[in-house]
Amino acid sequence: MKSQENTQTQTSITTMTTKLDLYKLHKAEYLAPREPVLVRTKPAQYLAIAGQGAPGGPRFTACIGALYGAAFTIKMTRKFAGKGDYAVCKLEGQWFFDGQPDTTSKEAWKWELMIRTPDFISQNDLKTAVATLLKRGKSREIEEVTLETIAEGVCVQMLHVGPYEKECETIALMRTFAQANGLKLSGPHHEIYLSDPRRVPPDRLKTILRQPTVKQKS
Amino acid sequence: MNAQAKETTLRFYKERLLCVLVHIQEHLDEPLPLELLGRLACLSPHHFHHVFTGMLGESLGCHVRRLRLERAAWRLKLSQTPVVQIAFEAGYETHEAFSRAFRKAFGLSPVQFRRRNGVSSRIQIPSGVHYQDRRRLRDFRAAQIEDKSMNVTIKILKPMRVAFMRHVGPYNQVGKTWEQFTMLLGKDGRLGAGPQFIGICHDDPAVTPPDKIRYDACITVDQNFRACGEIGLQRIPGGPYAVLTHFGPYEKLGGSYAKLLGQWLPRSGRRLRATPCLEIYLNSPENTEPEDLITDIHAPLET
Repeated sequence: MKSQENTQTQTSITTMTTKLDLYKLHKAEYLAPREPVLVRTKPAQYLAIAGQGAPGGPRFTACIGALYGAAFTIKMTRKFAGKGDYAVCKLEGQWFFDGQPDTTSKEAWKWELMIRTPDFISQNDLKTAVATLLKRGKSREIEEVTLETIAEGVCVQMLHVGPYEKECETIALMRTFAQANGLKLSGPHHEIYLSDPRRVPPDRLKTILRQPTVKQKS
Repeated sequence: MNAQAKETTLRFYKERLLCVLVHIQEHLDEPLPLELLGRLACLSPHHFHHVFTGMLGESLGCHVRRLRLERAAWRLKLSQTPVVQIAFEAGYETHEAFSRAFRKAFGLSPVQFRRRNGVSSRIQIPSGVHYQDRRRLRDFRAAQIEDKSMNVTIKILKPMRVAFMRHVGPYNQVGKTWEQFTMLLGKDGRLGAGPQFIGICHDDPAVTPPDKIRYDACITVDQNFRACGEIGLQRIPGGPYAVLTHFGPYEKLGGSYAKLLGQWLPRSGRRLRATPCLEIYLNSPENTEPEDLITDIHAPLET
């Protein structure tokens, strides 16, 4: 709780330490204008867990729990050992659809949930964290978390504001933009969740949409 | 909740604050410790300050300073007492500091004010509470709910078992305690998507000296957790809580507390329970811009 009177002398909890923030470090890869743009992404390491099922369903929720469990345990174990600190990034997801998503059978949707993680995090760090979490009695999903590098190359990217159901309109803009630049959308559709859907009303949800591309055949 | 019950609640809180306001008027030259004023209002100190700020539309400190300035204006007008003496009586150590504050409030220097007739010795305030020379204060206008869209919900919380680390010191350094605390719990695999992050502020940064502020950083834990070293274990009481979501930086939480406890509560028909308020943090300052931070303020209510 803070008083308004004391603001000059008090700084926020947020500014206590300067720690590695991958989104700030790779600022150019996280451009999020309201119009489509091209971004050139470098291969990046993620903690990830793949699954199938409706967003918000039990499997989806359990996977989010496992992913965050791994992310925090790895970070804090390193920090405790004096190996430095970094910010845990936002949740991201890749969605694997053949053509348009079938909204009538969300149970069949396939996805991979991801959290971008610094390159210095090793498979061994993950292994240690998984062991710690299993010892704590966490669910078996934790064993499915992987550490992988994803290379997306040149992508079309823009900010989507509003409910997830309306993303198709934004994606249509991105497709047109890609075509105008001699590109074709390819690879899994990638979302970076800037807002928490449990708290932010649907029409104010902010999501970065990223779509890898290939050169259009002439 | 019917209109009569709401009316009774408003009267209940107004009467409590009126006792305090009368005491302040009669003891303007004495120290006015929060504990004493809270006791007069039959409210715990951590609730009292917010109820006061919200209902009166100014903090306790501002209220006392304003009344002392109004009294000074009154004395300038009706007595021959030297300005320096009046400044001293108003709690200012130097004539300059007094003049600055006086000019800010009345738009005139103390000397100009003394010479000019017809200038009110009152500083406008919605509560209508002004320095009363011998008359006893009988009533005041409680602030209305200014934000009509303010969305307060009543939630019944189950008791929560939490690990906690006590921070004693300036509020702006609670971040250090959180860093240490989350590191110790996190390395043991106790953080993830499930555990809730809760803050309990036992004192108010606006009125408690910075080195004396007590704040508990809390994280919910399971039955197997045992207190160890600097990390204690406590049970946060369950029951009904009034919940207001605060959007934005932590620096501005005080304003939301005042709205909840000083504007909503007196008109709600509900009464406060004497346990501390809770702050439940819904996102992390580590990867969220200050304006996007979301905090649920929980004020404990009687059943």
